[in-house]
Amino acid sequence: MSHPLRIVLAKVGLDGHDRGIKVVARALRDAGMHVIYPGLWLTPEAVVRTVADEDAEWLGLSLLSGAHMTLVPRVLQLLRDASLEHVGVMVGGIIPEADIPKLREMGVAKVFGPGTPLDEIVGFLREPRQVAHGS
Amino acid sequence: MAHDLIARFRRHDRTALARLVTLVARGESFPELDAMLAEDPAMKPRVVAVTGSGGVGKSSLVGRLLETIRQDGKTVAVLACDPQSPLSGGAILGDRFRMGSSIYDGLFIRSLAAVGGRGAVADHLPRLLRLLAHYGFEVVLIETVGAGQGDVAVQQAAEVVVLLVQPEAGDELQWEKAGILEIADVVVVNKGDLPGAEKTVAQVRGMLDLAHASPVAVLRASAKTGEGVPELWRHLQSLSPKVVPNRLNVSLLFDRVAEEAARRAAQLWSQHDAAVCEIVANWQEGRLAESAAVDALLNTLRSHPEA
Repeated sequence: MSHPLRIVLAKVGLDGHDRGIKVVARALRDAGMHVIYPGLWLTPEAVVRTVADEDAEWLGLSLLSGAHMTLVPRVLQLLRDASLEHVGVMVGGIIPEADIPKLREMGVAKVFGPGTPLDEIVGFLREPRQVAHGS
Repeated sequence: MAHDLIARFRRHDRTALARLVTLVARGESFPELDAMLAEDPAMKPRVVAVTGSGGVGKSSLVGRLLETIRQDGKTVAVLACDPQSPLSGGAILGDRFRMGSSIYDGLFIRSLAAVGGRGAVADHLPRLLRLLAHYGFEVVLIETVGAGQGDVAVQQAAEVVVLLVQPEAGDELQWEKAGILEIADVVVVNKGDLPGAEKTVAQVRGMLDLAHASPVAVLRASAKTGEGVPELWRHLQSLSPKVVPNRLNVSLLFDRVAEEAARRAAQLWSQHDAAVCEIVANWQEGRLAESAAVDALLNTLRSHPEA
């Protein structure tokens, strides 16, 4: 990589569990990436504004609240509204198996569940970019 | 593509602004961008740097300042610098965390990594500031990384340097030491709600007056309660452009000299230029001191006008 990859890792909605996202942030930092962590309890609008202003290539959303089927589509829609279709989106946290294909269909590039080896996330981000989400 | 980016930027397209900030922060340049930056911006923003050691409350105070500036109806850009690992090159940029999640069109926040050992601010700061001026921001706040006692690089770029200190930060002798206190235009005793704040204000004031009947204001504020923040903002605005030397243009110029010299030296080196290779070899093997090697390289560049 000639330039460090810029990724926003965000907690969206009413969800205070940030241990996982901090562990991932640390792993990506150690892999030479620039991780922007804007904190807890963000609205989808604030997440998308952060991605826009930070000119990030990736957005990682962490949800352990069960609200992923509401919040993730909202974030994806706002990204499209802001002409940010080129930003890759990955999701982590507690996501029931049955919801994973639905999230993928909406445009999420990858869902990482609990216990995912950190190397797997780093390796995934280093792969040449897949097709971005979009309509 | 490049032309389109500049055109969109001039139309106040936020995505174009974000992209150009990335490119300038990486040190990239192309003719359309250089031409625009060479123009004088229609209006110069008030550029304020906020510095101080880690944990003193820079991000939190900037967050409070943003609320006050918003009430004033002014547009503002924040460049928030955090350290980059010298080992992996990675960074966790967490300053937004404490700046609140307020979003409105007049506010732009960008996190930047500052390479270790090169001062407390990101590279290419003068060009970044010029870019933000061209976009039309009325205020630019630069948050440095947690700066040590001797870090004065930020003075190169900002019109006003605000130094944050906190109560119980050491005995009186701390303020006698040379360094960062000398570059401050305003000193803010943050965490002003804690006991001992008034004593720290008195100590800093005493030190500054001892030095040079100083015009530097010492203010007390609290990022936690918001106390003292409107007063700080009023003071920052009241500093007239006359007492604020314009360091931006000179620093931009010197930056260019350094960049150009580095570019030409690297080019000659890659072309195996005999003179450059000899100087480098002598320096590597310890026969030439670093300062002598730098002098010799600069002289060599002069004899290669179009490297």
